[in-house]
Amino acid sequence: MKAEDLLSGITPLLEPYIARQRWAAADPGGKVSVEKAELLDGFEPPTLWLLVRRHGDLYQLLIGLRPEDEPLDLGERDVLGVFASGGKAWFAYDGLADADIVKHLAATMDVTGVEDAIVRPVGAEQSNSSVVLGQKVILKLFRRLQLGPNPDVEVSTGLDQVGFNHLASPLGVWSRDDYDLAVAQEFLAGGSEGWALALTSLRDLYASEEEDPAVAGGDFASEARRIGEMTARMHIALGKAFGVHPPSLSEWADALVQQVDRLRLGADVRLRAEALARRVVVLKEVPSVRVHGDLHLGQVMRADAGWFVLDFEGEPARPVAERRLPWPAAKDVAGMVRSFAYAAAAALHERESSEREALEGRAQAWEQRNRQAFLEGYASVEGLEDVLPAEGPDSDAHRDLLAFFEFDKALYEVAYERAHRPDWEDIPLAAIERLGKG
Amino acid sequence: MPGRPAAESPAGAGPGGAAAAGPAPWFQHSVFYEVLVRGFYDANDDGTGDLKGLTSKLDYLSWLGVDCLWLLPFYQSPLRDGGYDISDFFTILPEYGDLADAVELVEQAHRRGIRVIADLVMNHTSDQHPWFQESRQDRTNPKADWYVWSDDDQRWPEARIIFVDTEKSNWTFDQTRQQYYWHRFFSHQPDLNFDHPAVADAMIDVVKFWLDVGLDGFRLDAVPYLFERDGSNGENLLESHNYLKRLRAEVDASHPNKVLLAEANQWPADVVDYFGDGDECHMCFHFPLMPRMFMAVRREQRYPITEILAQTPDIPQGCQWGIFLRNHDELTLEMVTDEERDYMYAEYAKDPRMRRNIGIGRRLAPLVENDRRVAELLHAMLFSLPGSPILYYGDELLMGDNIYLGDRDGVRTPMQWSPDRNAGFSRADFAQLYLPPLMDPVYGFSGVNVEAQMRNPSSFLQWMRRMLDVRRQHPVFGTGAFEVLPAENPSVLAYVRSHEDEAGHQNVVLCVNNLSRFAQPCELALGRWEGRTPVELLGRVPFPRVGALPYFVTLAPYAFYWFDLIEVQEETL
Repeated sequence: MKAEDLLSGITPLLEPYIARQRWAAADPGGKVSVEKAELLDGFEPPTLWLLVRRHGDLYQLLIGLRPEDEPLDLGERDVLGVFASGGKAWFAYDGLADADIVKHLAATMDVTGVEDAIVRPVGAEQSNSSVVLGQKVILKLFRRLQLGPNPDVEVSTGLDQVGFNHLASPLGVWSRDDYDLAVAQEFLAGGSEGWALALTSLRDLYASEEEDPAVAGGDFASEARRIGEMTARMHIALGKAFGVHPPSLSEWADALVQQVDRLRLGADVRLRAEALARRVVVLKEVPSVRVHGDLHLGQVMRADAGWFVLDFEGEPARPVAERRLPWPAAKDVAGMVRSFAYAAAAALHERESSEREALEGRAQAWEQRNRQAFLEGYASVEGLEDVLPAEGPDSDAHRDLLAFFEFDKALYEVAYERAHRPDWEDIPLAAIERLGKG
Repeated sequence: MPGRPAAESPAGAGPGGAAAAGPAPWFQHSVFYEVLVRGFYDANDDGTGDLKGLTSKLDYLSWLGVDCLWLLPFYQSPLRDGGYDISDFFTILPEYGDLADAVELVEQAHRRGIRVIADLVMNHTSDQHPWFQESRQDRTNPKADWYVWSDDDQRWPEARIIFVDTEKSNWTFDQTRQQYYWHRFFSHQPDLNFDHPAVADAMIDVVKFWLDVGLDGFRLDAVPYLFERDGSNGENLLESHNYLKRLRAEVDASHPNKVLLAEANQWPADVVDYFGDGDECHMCFHFPLMPRMFMAVRREQRYPITEILAQTPDIPQGCQWGIFLRNHDELTLEMVTDEERDYMYAEYAKDPRMRRNIGIGRRLAPLVENDRRVAELLHAMLFSLPGSPILYYGDELLMGDNIYLGDRDGVRTPMQWSPDRNAGFSRADFAQLYLPPLMDPVYGFSGVNVEAQMRNPSSFLQWMRRMLDVRRQHPVFGTGAFEVLPAENPSVLAYVRSHEDEAGHQNVVLCVNNLSRFAQPCELALGRWEGRTPVELLGRVPFPRVGALPYFVTLAPYAFYWFDLIEVQEETL
C-alpha cells in the first residue's frame, strides 16, 4: 500500500472533516490541497500522515485506517468516513482517537513507559489537540502548522534548561522537515485551570452575603499573588534562556492605532489609543524578552506543588514570526490583568441579566483586589531588574507599558469575540471604555 | 529535569501502602475520643466530672463506636494550666478520684473493647512539684540539676516564646535560689533537665507506672522541647529524638502493644522524624491538615488540603497519623503562613474575644456556623483521609462553646447528656459546677443533648454512629494507601484508599467530596478500575459500572460519597 494510491479516495472526505474541527479556521468551506502524503513507518493500524493546505493555512492530518468492517466506535467529529482504494474499503478516522496510534507516536518521540497506559483525550484547543497517556504523559498534536520551531516546544525547552520548573517538562518532540508536529510533556495530574478557580471564587462572591471580596469565603487574592510571583520568575527565566533585547517601540505603537481602525471602534477610542502609544514611544531603555505571549487564567494551572504555566504557543491568531519576537514583559502582565477583568465579567454573564447590575460593584471589587494582589506578587520577586525598565515594577515606564498592553489585549479580545463568541464582545468593549482615560 | 517546587510528592501520606506483614497494630484502625474527665460526668455530685463518672458512661461511648479514649491530664496539679502543670505524677487529682478509680475505669473500658490513653507532660512540671521545690532551695541539693538553671536570662535567645500573650521570656527569676529557670511554656511550668540521667530515668518510671495500671499508651505533650542546646532554637533536637527512642524501646520491652502519640506542632516534614525508623513514636498528630480542611471549605477548593498532603512524607510501617477537626487547644495556626493565618482570623474569629494566643478557641459547630452539611462533610473527610481520627467530646452532638469563659474554658463546658438540670451532667447545685453548661437557644442543653439525639434517628449523633460503623467495616480507611485523583473541578476533592486483603484481593474505596456550597459536576479518570461497580457505602446502592471514559459524578452542595469499587457479575446487581 502506498500513500499516493489512497489520495484519490480520501481527498473528498477531507474538507467536511476539517470544517467540523475547532482547530480549523472558521472560513466557509473550500478546496483542500494535499501537499504531502506518507504512510507512517511501522504504525499499526496503518496511519496516513497528510500535509494539507486550506485557505492558505497549513494543517497536518493524522489519519487512522482500519478495514471498513472493523471500525472504531468514535464520535462523529473524529470520523472522516469510508473510502475505497485498491479494491478494499477503508474506515478513516482521526488517529489521535486511537490509543494504538497514539502509542506509536509516543514511541517515535522516545517516550517510554506508556505501553500499557490508558489513553484519553483531554482537550481541543484552537491549534492543537491533546491526549493523556496514563497519568504521566500528555501528548499534544499541532493541527495547524507554521514553518519553523513551534513556540511552545521552543520556549518550554528553553525554560526547562535554565531551571524554571513551573511548567510541564518537555519529554520529546516529533518534527519533520522544518515543522514541529507534536510534543510530549510531563502531565500535570491533579491540577485545575486558574480560570476554573477564579470562577469558583467569583461564584461564591456573587452568591455571598458579603460584598467585599476580601471577606467573602472564596477569596482568590492569595492565589493571584502566587500567580504574580510565578509570572515574574518566568520572565527572569525567559531572559536567561533567550536573552534580553532592546525593543522597537514605534512599530507596536502604530499597530495599536491600526487595530483600532480595523475594528472600527470610533474616534474617541482612537484618540486614547494614540495617547497610550505616545507615552510608550518616548520610553527609552525598555528591555524586551521572549514572552509567554498569551498569558491568562486559562494558561495557568494550580497543582499541589503550586502554580504552573501552560502552552507557550502565544496568541494563535498572530503569525509565528511575530510570536517569537521579544516583547516587554509588561505584555504578559497585561494579559493576566485583563484575565481578571474577563473572569469577573464572565462570571457575571452566568447570572440572570436582571441581577447583573446589582453585582457589578462586586465584579469590579474582585477584579481590583486580584489585579492588585497579582501585581504585588509580581513585583515582590527579586531579579526583575534585568527584564523590566530601569526603575523596576513600580516605575512609570512599566505602568505605561502595562496600560498600553492592556489596551492592546482588549483589542485582540474584541477581534476574537467577534469571530467566535459575538455575545461576549461587551466584556472587552467595557474595558476599552475604561482604559486610557485620564 | 531541574529541581521541582518543594511540594512535588504524589506519594501521599498513606501509612505504607500495601498490606503489612502481620495484623495492623490496633491504633491504625482506632477512632480516638478525647475526653475531659472534669467535663464528662459527675458521679459524686460535687459539680466536677470524675473517673467514676466517665466509667459510668462507657456504655454510651461503646454504643457510639469509639475505640480508644484519650484522657486529658488527671494527675495531681494546682490546675493553673488545665492539669498540664503536674505536681505529682503518681497521684490522681482528688477531684477526679483515686488510683482505684483509674484501675476500675481501665478495666471496664477494656471489657468493652475500648482502650485508654492519657496525656503525659514530660517536658516540665508544675512549680509546685516537690522536685522543683527541692531544686530551687539552693544550688547543691540532690535535685539541684533536675531543672534548667542559669545565672542570667540571655542563654538560647533563638528559642521562640510560645505563649506570647502571657510570657515575656523563656527565663524567670527565682527569688529563693537567686537564679533564672528555663520554661518553654508558662513561667509556673519549669522545664525538666533531661540531660540529668536521674530525670531521664524518673520519667520512664512514670510511664511504666501507668502502663502497669493498665493504660494503653500516652499522648506525649510538647515533645520537641525536651532538650536545650546552644545555637539552636531548642526544637526537634537529636537528643530529644534519642530520648524518645529509648522510651519506646523500654516500653516495647516491658509493655508491648501500647501507643505513644507525639504532640509535635511542626511541619509534617519535621514531624515525621518523631516516627524515627518506626522505632520512636507510634503516632503523631498531623497539625497543619486541620486548619486547611476548614480553609478548603471556606475557599470551596481542595488545594489547601492537597497541598499539605503532598508535602506530607510517607511514614514508616506500623505508624499512623492522628488527625482531628477540633481539640481542647486552639485551632492551631502556628503552622500556616502569615497570610493564611490572617485569613483564618478574618474568617473564624471576627470577634477579638475568640483570639487566644496564636490560635482560636472555638468548637466545630460554631466554626461552621452550625451548618450540619459542612459538619458532615468535614467528618466524612476526617474519617477517610489517611490517619486515625480523633474526636473531641461533645462534637458528636454539634455542641457549641461559650466564648465569654476565660482562657480555653469556652470549649470545656459540661457534656450535655439530657435536657434535665445541669444538662444531666451533675446533680450538684448549679453554682457548684466547675463551669456552667451551655444554655443559649442554639447550642444549649435543652435542645442539644445525648438523650434527644439518641431518640432521633436523623440526629447528628446517630449519623456519626453510622459513619463510625461503616468505617469500622472497612479497614482500608485505617491502613490503605492514599492517592488523590485528578479532577479539573477545583471544588471537588476525590481520592482512593486501597489495600490488598489477606485473600490477595485489591480493596478500593473511592471518596468524592464537594467542598462547595453549590452543586458540582466532576469527571474522574477511573480507567484503572474499568469494569468495577461503585457501591455507595452507607446505602449499598450500586452506581453505574466504571467504563473506559471518565466517570461522571454529580454532587449536591457539601455532599460526599464513599464508593466501594467492587467486582460483581452483572446479574447479581
